[in-house]
Amino acid sequence: MTAPSILLVEDDPPLRTLTARALQENGYVVRPAATAPEMWATFEAGPIDLILLDVMLPGTSGIDLCQMIRRRSEVPIIFISARGSETDRVVGLELGADDYLAKPFSTRELVARIRAVLRRGGIEQRRTTPSDKAGFDGWTADFSRRELYSPSGALIPLTGAEFDLLASFLGHPQRVISRERLIEMSRARIGESSDRSVDVLVSRLRRKLSIDGRPAPIITIRGVGYMLNTPVSRS
Amino acid sequence: MLARPSLGLLGRIVAIILLTVTIEFAASTLFYERAGEFSIKEDEARRLAEHLVIVRRLVSERPPAERPAIARYLSTDRYTVHWQRQAPPPRTLAAELRNMRDQVVDWEPSLADSGLQLQLASPGRHDIVVGTITLPDGTWIDFKMHGLVTGWGLRLNRIFLALVPAIALAVLGGLLVRMTLRPLKTLGEAAERIGRGERVVVREEGPGEVRNLIRAFNKMQDQISRMITDRTQALAAVGHDLRTPLARLQLRLDGSADPDLRNASEADITEMEEMISSVLAYLGGDSDPEKPSRIDLAVQVATLVDDMADRGHAIRYQGPDHLECILRPNGFKRAMTNLIENAIHHGTQVNVALADWPSSVVLSVEDNGPGIPAHQIAQVLQPFARLDSARSRNTRGLGLGLAIVSQMVEREAGSLRLSNRPEGGLRAEIVLPKRAAAQT
Repeated sequence: MTAPSILLVEDDPPLRTLTARALQENGYVVRPAATAPEMWATFEAGPIDLILLDVMLPGTSGIDLCQMIRRRSEVPIIFISARGSETDRVVGLELGADDYLAKPFSTRELVARIRAVLRRGGIEQRRTTPSDKAGFDGWTADFSRRELYSPSGALIPLTGAEFDLLASFLGHPQRVISRERLIEMSRARIGESSDRSVDVLVSRLRRKLSIDGRPAPIITIRGVGYMLNTPVSRS
Repeated sequence: MLARPSLGLLGRIVAIILLTVTIEFAASTLFYERAGEFSIKEDEARRLAEHLVIVRRLVSERPPAERPAIARYLSTDRYTVHWQRQAPPPRTLAAELRNMRDQVVDWEPSLADSGLQLQLASPGRHDIVVGTITLPDGTWIDFKMHGLVTGWGLRLNRIFLALVPAIALAVLGGLLVRMTLRPLKTLGEAAERIGRGERVVVREEGPGEVRNLIRAFNKMQDQISRMITDRTQALAAVGHDLRTPLARLQLRLDGSADPDLRNASEADITEMEEMISSVLAYLGGDSDPEKPSRIDLAVQVATLVDDMADRGHAIRYQGPDHLECILRPNGFKRAMTNLIENAIHHGTQVNVALADWPSSVVLSVEDNGPGIPAHQIAQVLQPFARLDSARSRNTRGLGLGLAIVSQMVEREAGSLRLSNRPEGGLRAEIVLPKRAAAQT
């Protein structure tokens, strides 16, 4: 397998150089671009495995650029932004970005995110629409915003790891999933409490999913793993 | 916009006074005039007419020397008659009883050429009718009669009735003045709301001075808001721009071989980043204004507590598993994070509790740290507050932590209370009123 090639769009020259160097040191092929036209030129020139896109670019903004890319390609995109707020993160994800990285970031974090996004692209089915939602037992999971809503429509805050776990369950409804497989799937995204055991995560998710005295629709299959025992409808 | 011509505040008040005085004047004049139309006991009036005819005839038949005597003779308890050579002086404060006179002449046409005059003596005090007639030889008879006019009791009743228009007019005048001043009241209320951070455009209305004031007020508001926006944007831009060199610094450090230098500098970069995000959070420069939405607050609090527990802190959550509220999720999450981080920073054991009361939701964060000296509790809620005590020296950031909490809680119409626990440590309590929409 050849090294993945990454298209880096960043207008600040020193940061572009530093990011490119950090990525090269980690075995990626980097194609830097400073502006939108440069990006398109590189985009046409050869296959790209992932785009690292600065949101605040002179001329065409990264947000517009992301939408334009999405119209032509399903290539994974990671936003890099100097605006670190939650709203910006959600907007970025809704527009079809696969992840969102706030400045300043460390090499370790950058590489881990890239790896996770690339692996997710391999393991899971690439989504077809940015507003992918799943409903189960009255609950709604919004994959693009990575948010969960209760049957009464309230936002149920989940950590990144908890959402990944839920996504794994929703991907395999009414089928037993082994603990090992769950760990593997949930590792697709590094994040908060990644070293937490799956059992703790499952128990927290259960607590959040049990409402009005009804137990959460996740059952333990002793000695094997867990199962989501409710049908899932995708929209 | 065309300015409506206006009398001005002074003009209006003068006009109101003028109006009330005029109406009062007209009302009392009318009232006074109406004294002439008092209903008269008709039989009494007939008797008066007959009496006058007889008096006139008898007195004029006598020689002048006997006239005072016959006049005295003709006087009774109710009728007093005097003969005199000259016309009596006119009564200045007497109301003409013209209707009654016409009626008397009607009944006794012989009195038509007698120059009969009837007046109500001191209206309002006594129901006494006084009058004069002339004799054919040009001398005068002056007479007085009691109990002729019934009116309306003519005593206290009339005073009371005379007061009614005055009171009514005073009330009317008060209402008019209040109406004139209403735009000022609106303006005062608007100023208060603006102080709470709302944006209010006051409609230009009322007298000229007030309209000018409102116009200036609205303009000032625009200018202030533009000024604040400009500065916030400038500061936000600086904050965002600082993150790029910080990112460079971070990546350069990652390439450095010296692990001590790297760790120390990484901590510095993290602190700088925290300062930037706290300023941006405080100024609201990092995102568009958030809208309130339905969120499970209990899950949010439990998630934050779990997260801190995962990082190895001694922290516990007590409260329901689910509690839905309507608030601004990110802002409130930031407030809770600040409170929890503050508690973890100063104490070794942290208790977070959520309670669902009938009319409010109470969130409390307690630590076992040193607490805050009572006289400085108000001070720590101020932005950029740093206490001189040991508590502040090891505080990271800009001292915006609790100010942000206070701001976010205020935005949810809640209240933040800090108190020292009797057993030691600080207790921070957020009380959120339940909005009607939050009830499920």
